[in-house]
Amino acid sequence: MADNAGTLARIDRLAAPIENFANLLAGLAILALMMLGVTQIVMRSVFNSPISGYIDLVELSMASMAFLGAAYCQRLGAHIRMEIFIGRLSGRALWLVEAFATLVAIFIIGMLIYYSWGHFMRSYTMGDTTMDAELPVWPSKLLVPLAFGIWFVRLLLQLAGSIRLLINPDLVPEAVVIMKDVAEQAQDEIHEAMGDEGARP
Amino acid sequence: MILGIGMDNTFLVGMIALGLMLVLIVLGVRVVFAAAVVGFLGLVEFRGWGPGGGIAGIVPHSKSSVYALSVLPMFIFIGFVAFHAGMTQTLFDAARKWLGWMPGGLAVATVFATAGFAAVSGASTATSAVFSRVAIPEMLRNGYSKQMSAGVVASAGTLATLIPPSAILVIYAIIVETSVGDLLLAGFLPGIVSAMVYASIIVIWSMARPGAAPSVSGFTWGERIASLPGITPILAVVVIIMSSIYTGWATPTEAGALGAFVILVLALARRTKLSAIRGSLMESAKLTVMIFSLIWGVLIFVRFLGFSGLPGAFTEWIVALPTNPMIILLCILLGYAVLGMFMDAIGMLLLTLPVVYPAVMALNGGSYVSVEDSAFGVSGEMAPIWFGIIAVKMAEICLITPPIGLNCFVVNGVRPDIPITTVFKGVAIFFVADVITIGVLILFPEIVTWLPELDLEAWWNG
Repeated sequence: MADNAGTLARIDRLAAPIENFANLLAGLAILALMMLGVTQIVMRSVFNSPISGYIDLVELSMASMAFLGAAYCQRLGAHIRMEIFIGRLSGRALWLVEAFATLVAIFIIGMLIYYSWGHFMRSYTMGDTTMDAELPVWPSKLLVPLAFGIWFVRLLLQLAGSIRLLINPDLVPEAVVIMKDVAEQAQDEIHEAMGDEGARP
Repeated sequence: MILGIGMDNTFLVGMIALGLMLVLIVLGVRVVFAAAVVGFLGLVEFRGWGPGGGIAGIVPHSKSSVYALSVLPMFIFIGFVAFHAGMTQTLFDAARKWLGWMPGGLAVATVFATAGFAAVSGASTATSAVFSRVAIPEMLRNGYSKQMSAGVVASAGTLATLIPPSAILVIYAIIVETSVGDLLLAGFLPGIVSAMVYASIIVIWSMARPGAAPSVSGFTWGERIASLPGITPILAVVVIIMSSIYTGWATPTEAGALGAFVILVLALARRTKLSAIRGSLMESAKLTVMIFSLIWGVLIFVRFLGFSGLPGAFTEWIVALPTNPMIILLCILLGYAVLGMFMDAIGMLLLTLPVVYPAVMALNGGSYVSVEDSAFGVSGEMAPIWFGIIAVKMAEICLITPPIGLNCFVVNGVRPDIPITTVFKGVAIFFVADVITIGVLILFPEIVTWLPELDLEAWWNG
């Protein structure tokens, strides 16, 4: 498998910017939601003319925050799980269980892509709109299969990464989440809370 | 149909599914996948591939695009920007000047400064991280033991989950379908009570060991008053959030948006780098998607559970037990304490509430029970709020208990010179304080229900 070394890492480097961008879009949606809320308060209380269809806008925007970052979150291993058992494994046993866990994920996300696509198509063909402002609903529904598609690719990469290490556990890990112990997680939390200022003194 | 049992024996299918989910989660399958896959397969078993899969396929979008949930990204964003707004030092400084004279004064000051910071941040772990930098050096300089200094910072961080804005309270409200606003209001007093219990324990502990945690005095009233203007932004955010929910002049989302805006402006005024703001946005988006994934994953499972009739059967069984309801409640809380040692607080609540919550409500006497007839001294209307506060407080304790109490590891991470075992020893007395607080909240549910029941809206509108 030595000639395979690097291939996964290369695909990984191709996928990562897409995931980062999707997550940044979700972050910008949060910023936009904040501005929308502030504007709504000002318009309503100062000018006595609330934004029409405000609630519709908020609800439609939520899909971007709820789904776009899913693959980014997956790459960083931030979707929570219980590590009491898997944290004690190493070598082949670890990668076998990781591969199995990723297969479960691939199955359910694949199924949800299929069925959420159906949900989107129904809305698209019927031309379904929101109650108040009559905005089209389909773009928001399309985000689910779209974001899950990126997530699916990331999961396939992680499956390939786990199988590669299952075959030869001595290879340099590529495209897998390296489990962090609680002290390393704590370092991440510190960094998230305080940025670079929080780095070890 | 997968097993071929279908609707013939929904209870059996429910039990098999519950067992399968448990196995998947223990194996290390991420909670969102474990809950969603079991819920999906269960729905297919009951309804066939087309309709069953269809139901599951609708849940992620329909359950996420709910106005009430839009408050979550706002609260999360506030939490990530709060540090950059730089109020921690001023808060601690003010608390030190006002409370330093007490026995263990600096530790007491840390508790209240943290409670103040909790009013702009709902993130427990981040709060501990921030105060490790601000409060621990000051305490060590004044001769406090490492154990005490680290313990108080790790424990006081947990106050952030009760004092609004708290993300975990919103999640609870969504899962059990109760009022987000009422729950946020309800968290305020228990948060203060928790802080008071922490402070009392510190004072008693310090009086028993003279010199171990010396008081700091000598501040004039002038200095004290002068320390107050620095904390006005915090007060502003508290007033924005509490008053909006109370008087209804803004929804929780709008209040969260305005609070986030104020904090963001403060952060920018302190010349926070744009890269740091971008980092906060990325982290907020990541945490938001993590929480939303958990919510829809668990809700697919909940849809299936509804068909299985399992929650109803569990409730009937619990209510029929001859044991005193209070003992059963304590057993449930004990279960949470144990589970919390191995699991993240949000995941634990989301997974257990669909079954535990209806049972606790039924134990209390149902939706329409009066305070007098109820088992826990709380009306049917207020019971969801009251249990929410207790469950969240319980879930938070897991952040300070070994082996994976993340707050303790965060303190150790910021201060590598304080060994993790010392931190865990330090939080021991605060663990006792938390047990006392939960006891107090169970004995006096009024502490939880008083604020939400107080009809300020009527008073406000005359």
